[in-house]
Amino acid sequence: MANQQTLLSPAELAYLHTSLSLSPPIRPDGRTSKQFRPLTAETGILPGTNGSARVCLADGTEAIVGVKAEIEKTVDLLGGEHYQEYVKSASGAGGGDAEEDRRQARGEWLEMTVEIPGLRDDDAGTVFLAELLREALLADGEFAKKLWINRRFHWRLYLDIILISPPLSYPLPLLSLTTHLALLSTRLPRLKSEGDEDPMFDDDWEASPFLYPRQGAAAGSRPPITLLVVAVGDSILFDPSKEELAVADSALAVSLCEVRTQKADESMEVDSGRELRLVSMRTVDPPSRLTPPGVPSTGNLAASGTFDPSSQKKQQQQRVEEFPQEGVWKAPLGGTRFAVLDSIIQAVLEKGGVADEVLDGLEGVDLS
Amino acid sequence: MATDTLPSLAIPGTILGPASKYAAGPGTHVYGGNIVSSLLGNVNVTSPAKAPGPAKRLNKITAPSVEELSTISVIRRGRKREVLPDVGNTVLARVVRLMPKQAIVVIQQVGDTVLQTEWQGVIRVQDVRATEQDKVKIHESFKPGDIVRAQVISLGDQANYYLSTASNELGVIMATSDAGNDMVPISWKEFKDPDTGVSEPRKVAKPS
Amino acid sequence: MADRRRVNGPGSSTLPPVYDDGELNAASRRQRAPDAIRPLCETKPIPTICSYMSYHENLETKTLRLDLKTGVTPSASGSAYLEIEPREGEHGSGMKLTCTVHGPRSLPRSAPFSPYMVLSTHVKFAPFATKQRRGYLRDSSEKDLSTHLETALRGALIADRWPKSGVDIVVTIIEGESTRQDAVERRVEEWDVMNVLGGCITVASAAIADAGIDCVDTVSGGVAALVASKDGNDASIVLDPVALEHESVMAACCVAYLPNRDEVTNLWFKGQLPLSASYNHQSLVSRAVQASRGTHGLISASLSEAIGSTQN
Repeated sequence: MANQQTLLSPAELAYLHTSLSLSPPIRPDGRTSKQFRPLTAETGILPGTNGSARVCLADGTEAIVGVKAEIEKTVDLLGGEHYQEYVKSASGAGGGDAEEDRRQARGEWLEMTVEIPGLRDDDAGTVFLAELLREALLADGEFAKKLWINRRFHWRLYLDIILISPPLSYPLPLLSLTTHLALLSTRLPRLKSEGDEDPMFDDDWEASPFLYPRQGAAAGSRPPITLLVVAVGDSILFDPSKEELAVADSALAVSLCEVRTQKADESMEVDSGRELRLVSMRTVDPPSRLTPPGVPSTGNLAASGTFDPSSQKKQQQQRVEEFPQEGVWKAPLGGTRFAVLDSIIQAVLEKGGVADEVLDGLEGVDLS
Repeated sequence: MATDTLPSLAIPGTILGPASKYAAGPGTHVYGGNIVSSLLGNVNVTSPAKAPGPAKRLNKITAPSVEELSTISVIRRGRKREVLPDVGNTVLARVVRLMPKQAIVVIQQVGDTVLQTEWQGVIRVQDVRATEQDKVKIHESFKPGDIVRAQVISLGDQANYYLSTASNELGVIMATSDAGNDMVPISWKEFKDPDTGVSEPRKVAKPS
Repeated sequence: MADRRRVNGPGSSTLPPVYDDGELNAASRRQRAPDAIRPLCETKPIPTICSYMSYHENLETKTLRLDLKTGVTPSASGSAYLEIEPREGEHGSGMKLTCTVHGPRSLPRSAPFSPYMVLSTHVKFAPFATKQRRGYLRDSSEKDLSTHLETALRGALIADRWPKSGVDIVVTIIEGESTRQDAVERRVEEWDVMNVLGGCITVASAAIADAGIDCVDTVSGGVAALVASKDGNDASIVLDPVALEHESVMAACCVAYLPNRDEVTNLWFKGQLPLSASYNHQSLVSRAVQASRGTHGLISASLSEAIGSTQN
């Protein structure tokens, strides 16, 4: 996993686990279980890109995302260039011809790379992060359609995510929020040509439309956000720090997408009408499985000061059947009950819950 | 013992019996008050070894302690399974390299099991013998190529298991002289080449 | 600059031939495939309880047939071979996977001390496994699968029984499900990845049991998908979906499940759930769990048979 080993002793791990399992949990940095770490964000920081964003977390981790677009000729499907990862477009409800054509849109038009200092590009953990973010973005099938120009051409979007600081915690939420903002600030040149002719674009950058329209009927989907949630005992903690992740029983990355309900049926809708949709989720291997186990003082050689092979052997035997002892750290074994995972999902999707809070916070960011 | 209720074959996750009635042996673990198999294999139940001497008369009803429970273990017959050296095991190792403060060995056998892979171990100068530890010289205790019987005292660091020969029964059991002949032990600290008559110093294991 | 040292291909690209593999081809394939693979895997197919659940009556009778055999690679400490036979339907094409487990063996000298077994997983498509040839280097989807598999297995292993040792688990997909042209045309490969992961988990679990590495339970993989029916917007949940058989797949879920502990070690969900429908993520996950329970029946039958045969 992307995390390096934490330098906590078994006793510290046990203490942390106990205090986080309390109700309400006591987190080392004093946050409540649903509180995010404060962050600063800005968009449009890179003039050479179609869209960019920078997010800086209070613990000093910082990420930059740059979005670049290029025009590419659409290869005929039967010509067969790359057959991986197609986006299955939503079942067309028999729309117009253009709608039908847009079904050609493919997920591979989006290229995403994640760079984390100290890790190789092709490290499994980095690839996992990139695939996780990419999958969330493509899951609704709407994104690739935005890149469609005409039957012969399409945009190829390069999304480069760079973590500037060393990864002090699992960088998933940070990278996801930065990507979200960068995509919101992304603009593509306005198309002047019509139909299937070679595309011509408006030179005026001011006239260029946003990839995700701000207002109007088209302001439907928004880029997804991915939240990392961990379960420690009975507590569910959002935005875990590295230390909290080190004692987590299970960790789940939940990606959700905000769907703005159209104002047409205004009888029901309030202004902040926002529906959260689950688009993808993955369990993340919690680093707690690799933490060193504690030794109860009854079984500690240094404490008893004797070395007796026979008693030692018995201990080895009994270590197996030992029940968890209070205050002695033991790495979690086995999986997670679905009820726990489900309560995590419910907590994420809850109306007026954490996800809403995060989205409200992101809305406050000035999009330039 | 109600052995007939036990399954004869087990796969990982098979529930074998309540933890109150049995003790968990190799190849099993305890989960939710039950002994659960953690290996694929045959289920064995071994009754506790009867204490020698007359059985104590029972004068009150007590729950049997852990010592009295029969042990369930899961072992796959007819199949060699990799074992790891563990603390307390007696191992056979071959000396590969000498350094002033320690000898590097390769563990080749744990108990009666020959290992598939080689694990590196180290015998530090203070672990060579129990007495006069300050006078021990590694070069007078081992030579590369010797076969040593030793005990594992620690899982050690990233590379080495820590071994000790600090007991009469532990030490060099097979050695070759400079001339290339097999030698015989003649005292607790010497091996002798029967052909050339030259004796060489070693930490000799007491022949059993 | 043009490469002048080699004989270059034609400057303009040509189309690869496209064959019409319709009904006929699928039927002849079915007859050929079992013979071709039989020498490798001599156990007779074990029908599982994991029957093909569907709300379409005409599909309901179809059963998914799987073959699982352990100990196929003598040089490895544990190995398994899984074959999912093509269904009787017109779109089915099977999946064949092997898994080898190497170790436990000593870690390289450069590795730091670990009180646990260090697990490393490799998932690789054979170059000929899919319609589009795969390279020998692992691409991102294979690495992603490896990470999923590692998460699924790590929860099941009792890693502290094997300190300071490393285990390599290598899964090779000999034949993927989407070998056929339709899969490419209909762009359903991304959903087949879930089926591949489910197969990887199942085969790796059997190979680990064969290698004699301690596990809390026999983990098994299961997949469920929410599909739209051909005629309309009617949605239903199917187990072990074959994406080609359905008009569109809306969402899919793959779980790695420990049946005796009722725990999930890996959960992977993606897709778009209809806002109003009665199907939610809970029902999808519980159906995936149901699928993996079925697979578990197969693993236990196969493993019991394996130890039973060595007895005699």
